[in-house]
Amino acid sequence: MSDAAQIQAIVKDFVLAEFLEGEDPSELKDDTELVTTGILDSLATLKLVTYIEEQFEVEIDADEADETHLNTLADIVRLIQSKR
Amino acid sequence: MDFTWSKDQQALREAVVELARAELNEGLHERDEREEFNRAGWDKLAAFGIHGMPFPVEYGGGGLDALTTVGVLERLGYGCRDNGLVFSVNAHMWTVGTPLMAFGTDEQKQRLLPRLCSGELVGANAMSEHEAGSDAYSLGTTATLRGDRYLLSGSKTWVTNGPIADVIVVFATVDASKGPNGISAFMVERGSKGLSVGGKLRKMGIRTSPMSELFFDDCEVPVENRLGREGAGKSLFTHSMTWERACILSSAVGSMERLLETSIAYARRRKQFGQSIGKFQMLQSRVVDMKLRLEAARSALYQAAFLRDAGRSIFLEAAIAKLQISESWVRTAEDALQIHGGYGYMRESEIERELRDAIGSRLYSGTSEIQRTIIASLLGL
Repeated sequence: MSDAAQIQAIVKDFVLAEFLEGEDPSELKDDTELVTTGILDSLATLKLVTYIEEQFEVEIDADEADETHLNTLADIVRLIQSKR
Repeated sequence: MDFTWSKDQQALREAVVELARAELNEGLHERDEREEFNRAGWDKLAAFGIHGMPFPVEYGGGGLDALTTVGVLERLGYGCRDNGLVFSVNAHMWTVGTPLMAFGTDEQKQRLLPRLCSGELVGANAMSEHEAGSDAYSLGTTATLRGDRYLLSGSKTWVTNGPIADVIVVFATVDASKGPNGISAFMVERGSKGLSVGGKLRKMGIRTSPMSELFFDDCEVPVENRLGREGAGKSLFTHSMTWERACILSSAVGSMERLLETSIAYARRRKQFGQSIGKFQMLQSRVVDMKLRLEAARSALYQAAFLRDAGRSIFLEAAIAKLQISESWVRTAEDALQIHGGYGYMRESEIERELRDAIGSRLYSGTSEIQRTIIASLLGL
């Protein structure tokens, strides 16, 4: 499994468990919008950022905790990879 | 974690107490009665370097880390009884300087940060509205792009430093269809066309910190005064609030220590039934609780600052620090008043002012209920 795929799988598991409990995992795709649809509201964003920082040992800057960088699983993977 | 202060840090902490005791407390009772801001005191603190402590030297700041900054602010609160003045300085630092540093362009930083650090400019933050308090993102204030400027319409309330502010970070909705993701932040300068400042709002406590409403009637804001990209208002506000929650009550920890020492001195001096009231176990228990709260509050403060310096996001720790310190401060001020009895209830004693000053800390920067909501959420609930 590639680095990107591993990151995607870990983040996807977290998002499903924390914010989409009971949803069909296959419905959460690489390009499913999380921020703009409200799945990641302000509190959920804090949880996700905290999780990413601890899980991947990276630092998310204040201006990265937004729609541009966290809106989809693909965005999130790109952000994490850019910091490793 | 090592919370031992270096010689330089210790010297700063001692110097700020000396400054505060010598320069900032005189006439406080009268200023509180008149609800008057101490601009001369503001300037003295600025000259000391307080306003710029956490900002880079290249922008006129002190280049200090978060732990040193909160450590100095703690001692400022210990030496300075003017909690309102200290509150105004904190609002200026954490909700204007900090987001400008994180989200501002180089041009914006060079233009404004040195003058904010020097205290020449007074900063304010305008988020709350009459219908948007804890539900902070349900803003009615809008910003519409017209050519090279935005037109802001709406009003803000509970704006600390509002009556004296030179630069105000204003949050407004640019695209309502995006909800919280459609909010942007703007730096509105005093004298902007369409900006008017309401009368001073009268408060229960921290009366020496001025507060007002602000009104925007197609207020013109140049595009270059937008802070961050369009739609970045939510992440910018989160950033400001995290810093503010972590640090704004640093001085309250010092205030609590002062109240503890004042109470112990009074309990040793005050005689009833032929002995010092400090010999009564019920009073001793109250003093011990004050000490326990002080140490818990200090630990929460230092931990949040330490982790921030270590590069960690501190959403959880900031909320814990805010909740722990504010609740402890109020209860400590209540205890101090109870220990001082009837004398504490008198306005001349200033204990009643300390209690009035403390109570607001349960409300600003997110109520205690909001802090608990954040903490519970981050704990997985």
